Amino acid sequence: MINRLRATRFIVAQVHDEPIIASLGNPKFDLFAAGDRPQNFYMWNSMGMAASMGLGLAMARPAQKVIVLDGDGALLMNLNALTTAAARAPQNLIHVIWDNRQFALTGGQPTHTAFRADLAQLARGAGFERVVAVDTQEAFEQAFLQAMATPGPWIIVARVDDQQATARPPKSPTYIKHRFMQSLGAYDT
Amino acid sequence: METAWPQHIIAQLKAYRIRFLSYVPDAIGEQILRLARQDPFFDILPLAREEEGVGVVAGQYMGGARGALLMPTAGVGNALNALASLAIPYQVPLPMFIGWRGELGEFNAAQVPLGQALPALFAALHIPTFVLRYAPEVPTVVAGALKLAYSAEQPVAVLISTQLAGWKDER
Ligand SMILES: Cc1ncc(C[n+]2csc(CCOP(=O)(O)OP(=O)(O)O)c2C)c(N)n1
Repeated sequence: MINRLRATRFIVAQVHDEPIIASLGNPKFDLFAAGDRPQNFYMWNSMGMAASMGLGLAMARPAQKVIVLDGDGALLMNLNALTTAAARAPQNLIHVIWDNRQFALTGGQPTHTAFRADLAQLARGAGFERVVAVDTQEAFEQAFLQAMATPGPWIIVARVDDQQATARPPKSPTYIKHRFMQSLGAYDT
Repeated sequence: METAWPQHIIAQLKAYRIRFLSYVPDAIGEQILRLARQDPFFDILPLAREEEGVGVVAGQYMGGARGALLMPTAGVGNALNALASLAIPYQVPLPMFIGWRGELGEFNAAQVPLGQALPALFAALHIPTFVLRYAPEVPTVVAGALKLAYSAEQPVAVLISTQLAGWKDER
């Protein structure tokens, strides 16, 4: 099984100035632990919105890879976003889903992926062609490197263990936003 | 010939460099989209659910591009949590153009409760809300709403009334 923090450290070691959008809870905690950088967007609530925000960012910045770090619970709340992103199919989008089969942050209640739901199949059904499901660190690294090097959109469903994250990123939404936009040279004047 | 209200909205969107339009369809918004589809300035994204549009416009804005969201009244209900938890705290300029149902001339009782609550819902979230009722006021109100969204970095709602856009003749 993959450890989310270890896999997130690998991602942060691979990127240069690519933006990373991290979903509420553990995905953003581990992104901060793996390496705080201005190009990290920490989503403090808005469960499910990481997928949609990643699509918007990928549309605005077609020359650069855009990475989304999502949770299974969060994505299950906005599954329709997969159909929208697949229809648009931005080549620069890499959507990683940390599938721990639970709502870890709220006490470990099972999500539907603990039973019959399969996010990789749902992504294929939504219309994504480049979909990989991985459950070892080695396979994850290979999939991520391929996604960085070749046109997407890519969906990587990573089966992760149930380790809880302990780190906490900055909490001010406006600080996160301004730092992020400045780092992308995205200031709107 | 007199310029129709959708053309005024298109002109203001262009003046404010709002290139991306995300939408869930409704009959009123379609009057704007019909024009936008013929104009290569615009890049139009169909959504499956309105809440997605809040995230999409936030991503576009933070990536250095401007987007607006077109949706029906019912869609505001679908988008509320994303407005409250993403667009407002992260200060995202999010122009929303809403075909206002459940108001004058409504035939469908199931459109009425949310339609009647709409101004109060936006007021409760401190989202500035403007209503388009008369054609001559459209350029000023839309330009002013857009200017406010970007200067104050916040969502604004423009409600397009049936008084302006017409209501369904169904009884
Ligand atoms: C709309 C909404 N519903 C519920 C919550 C409560 N909540 C916060 S985090 C979370 C779990 C998220 O699960 P997942 O995305 O799988 O991440 P994990 O905690 O498992 O790492 C829940 C249910 C919320 N913040 N917003």
